[in-house]
Amino acid sequence: MTKKQAERFLPLKPQWFHILLALAGEEQHGYGIMQEVLERTMGKVRLWPATLYGSLKRMIEEDLIEESSKRPRPELDDARRRYYGLTLLGREVLDAECERLKSLVHAIQTKRRMVTE
Amino acid sequence: MKRSQRVYERLAQAFPHEFKLAHGDEMLESGEAAMAHMAKRHGWSGMAALLADAAVRLPIEYMTEMRRDLRYAVRALIKSPGFALVGILSMGLAIGLTTNVYNSNWALLMRPMQGVSHASRLVMAEKPVSYFYVERYGEQKNVFAGVAAFQTAVPFNVRLPGEAEGKQQRIFGQLVSPDYFQVMGVDAERGRVLSPAMDRAGDAPTAVISDRFWRTRLGSRSDAVGLALRVNGQDVTIVGIAPIGFEGAFAAESAAELFVPVTVPATVAPELADDVLHRRNAREFLALAFLAPGVSLSQAESALDGTTRRLDVDDPSAPPQNDKARRVTLLPAGTRVPIPQELRGALEGFFGVLMSIVIVIACMNLGTMLMARGANRRKEFAIRMSVGASRFRLARQLMTEGMLLSLLGGLLGFGLAYVLSVLNAQLRQAVDAPGRPDLGVDWRAAVFAFAAALVCGVVLSVAPALSATKSELTPALKQGSAMQLPGYRRFGLRNVAMAAQLGGSLMLLLITGFVLLGFARGYQVQTNFDPKTMVLASVDPVRDGETPEKAFDFFARLPQRLKDSGKFSSIALTTLPPFATVDADESEPMMVDDPQAATRVQEPAIKEFVGAGYFRALDEPMLSGREFNDGDERRLMEPVPVNTTRMLPVIINETAAKKLFGGTNTIGKHLKDRSRGYEVVGVVHDLKSGMGIKQAIVYVALSRDDFARPPASGITILARTRAGVDGAAAVRDVVSGLDPKLVPFHVETLSDQLAMSRRGIRSAMWTYGGIGGFGLILSAIGLAGVTAYAVAQRKREIGIRMALGANKGQVLRLVLREGITLIAVGTVLGFAGAVSVSKALGAVTSVLADALAMGTNDPGLLVGAPALLAALALLACYVPARGAVRIDPLKALRME
Repeated sequence: MTKKQAERFLPLKPQWFHILLALAGEEQHGYGIMQEVLERTMGKVRLWPATLYGSLKRMIEEDLIEESSKRPRPELDDARRRYYGLTLLGREVLDAECERLKSLVHAIQTKRRMVTE
Repeated sequence: MKRSQRVYERLAQAFPHEFKLAHGDEMLESGEAAMAHMAKRHGWSGMAALLADAAVRLPIEYMTEMRRDLRYAVRALIKSPGFALVGILSMGLAIGLTTNVYNSNWALLMRPMQGVSHASRLVMAEKPVSYFYVERYGEQKNVFAGVAAFQTAVPFNVRLPGEAEGKQQRIFGQLVSPDYFQVMGVDAERGRVLSPAMDRAGDAPTAVISDRFWRTRLGSRSDAVGLALRVNGQDVTIVGIAPIGFEGAFAAESAAELFVPVTVPATVAPELADDVLHRRNAREFLALAFLAPGVSLSQAESALDGTTRRLDVDDPSAPPQNDKARRVTLLPAGTRVPIPQELRGALEGFFGVLMSIVIVIACMNLGTMLMARGANRRKEFAIRMSVGASRFRLARQLMTEGMLLSLLGGLLGFGLAYVLSVLNAQLRQAVDAPGRPDLGVDWRAAVFAFAAALVCGVVLSVAPALSATKSELTPALKQGSAMQLPGYRRFGLRNVAMAAQLGGSLMLLLITGFVLLGFARGYQVQTNFDPKTMVLASVDPVRDGETPEKAFDFFARLPQRLKDSGKFSSIALTTLPPFATVDADESEPMMVDDPQAATRVQEPAIKEFVGAGYFRALDEPMLSGREFNDGDERRLMEPVPVNTTRMLPVIINETAAKKLFGGTNTIGKHLKDRSRGYEVVGVVHDLKSGMGIKQAIVYVALSRDDFARPPASGITILARTRAGVDGAAAVRDVVSGLDPKLVPFHVETLSDQLAMSRRGIRSAMWTYGGIGGFGLILSAIGLAGVTAYAVAQRKREIGIRMALGANKGQVLRLVLREGITLIAVGTVLGFAGAVSVSKALGAVTSVLADALAMGTNDPGLLVGAPALLAALALLACYVPARGAVRIDPLKALRME
């Protein structure tokens, strides 16, 4: 049932994929997600604030992510910030998308080999 | 940098409330941080990208919110299906009815004629003039770019190619001057149109057919142009097909299927006999003109009036020169109905008033329902507000519900209008009249329906939305819908709206009632015998190809032959079926011809042409004098010397006798009109038909001229059958026995004919009755809703009263008192409104004046309509009021 639910989101929108990926390791706030994506993609993908928060809002509604109650140490915390983490469904969707991308890469590699041979 | 920051802040603040609540601060913070970073690395382009992202996202977020509102609205409506159904139905009915009225009337008056270029510059004269006059009008090149002459509703007995003798059909068309199509700016769809260069006197007869003729009668055959038709017994060649939808000028009077030039011989068109084209007093043609650029209708009218006045000097039958009355009235001719400017305003006003009342009532009704519903949902709103929903958000939610209802209503309304228009068209098809306008639902009507729905949706939901979301959270959470509002407002929006709605409904009921009663009375026909026993059949020997001499001979022998058949008890001839509705506009001035009289008496009267034994056949006794007899008929069949007119015997009705002669000593007196003199030989009762306003009618004896050139309806035979006889077959036998070439048409019994003529009235009754009844039902629903709302609001108060010992009767009175006050105020408002609107409408338009005058004097309606509304309204109050009686005081008190 959950697999079916997860497949409903595939192929995932690129910005959603990056957000899920950013949250896969640890819970983060919005600006943190923005920074992580920027660093991970070496400045190639930038999630602009309006797009980012619009996506976060939709993803909360779709139950892919949730607001987390865990906060960092008080000296590092900013009360205005909200932290987000993956839900079970979010994790499954991320896995499913990764599988999809993997098989895509596999298909590309097979094709390439056929061409070079 | 600072400016960009400010712009970004503004954009961020413009996001929907819900979005800001969740992410507003963070978006601002990360935006500022990103901006500093971008400015350093990418300069202006980076900042522009950041701002563009926010600007693009803004409408998307709003759309998402709207989608959510809509989803929520759909769910809310599904949860209360009764409310949704009543709301959609009432809006649907209101929009459907008004769209139908708009579609059938407004568009008819406004829509430019199809196939015509420059329709706005076409004008026509209201009264017919002679062909000679039209030619003189055309000489005014500075006023007109062209002037044509035409006769409309001209009957042609047409035999199609390949049809056998005796199979001719009666088709209505126009007799036109050869430049008619150039003046109208109409090009042929196939072949050519008529033209002065190609259609000259003495050439082989030609005609242009309408697209409808080509499709329905010739089966769209490709070789139609060049075919020969038998028209009135003569060969006429089709030279062209008019464009789709073009049915001639003044198409509402009679949609033309055939256009025959006036250059054809009189054998093709008996209307052209007696040198009609050159006799300057033969006022038989309508002038159609194409205004020169920059010339207004009133300028053209003044110019024509001057010309007519000059020409009238040489015409002894024209009004004297000192008669200052305008001689020419021009009407805009670019639409199907040429309506004078001032009348157009009045008609638009009437429909406009009626439609707005319907729409306003429906809106108010839905408004009060939404308001009552909003009050019941106070608790729901309070909960939503306490968890962070803004008032704006809730108001928007309620407005979305209102708009959804209204748009669904609009959809239903458009469907209804479509069904009504189809029904209307079928009804018109059933009446085989010369005029048969074909109207579907116009796109403008659809736009109208949806615009109406949208406007209604916004207007009706603003006030309820604001009032429902204005609440103190704590008491609302505790008490829900039963909370006490800050002070009970006797003149609150809701009560004012309700009183206005009741008033509006009564107004609608009364106005439609006035019109209905007027129509119903006016068209009531009472015969002194069973109308099933009278057969009507029309014949037109001249248009079936016979010479006038043969036609005289036919009509001289026909009555005797019918009598000899032994199947008929009485027989008479006439030019118009009895009890046919005659428009008061067709009356002509009739003067008393008495050289000794001190003052000249002149009255408008309608002329009907009837033969010997007409009143006997109708069982109408003569009041005095005699009716036409065989002697008259024989005498009138004799030819008269050239250049003389004979005095014709006439019978006048009671009203004419009173108006012209004061009601006494009428026999033997003389009358005259513009063309000839008459001698009164008898007076007859007013036949119980036509609009109830007493109309003066002069029955002129049928004479040789009428048989030589029968009118559009032909010569109608009235034959009362003996019991058990198939009258229709018997008449057909006798006619074909006398002349096998003749084909009787419109063969039916009088009762069929009356039913047919009533059909149009019945449709009008349905429309207007529907509108009135609709208003009535709507206001009852509205009142029930408002009362239920009041009961819900005062539940606690009622509980306390009951706990203190108030009995059921007292509680009922308490609740009903408010309703009764509203009904009383509404009745007074509605009554005053209806009477003043009818008076105003009656004053500006003669079309409805008669009907309105009859209706406004009807005590039954004046007392009955308010009583009916009040009774229904009381019932609507009583049902929810009974709910108040059933309130359990314990439960009501515990709610605190």
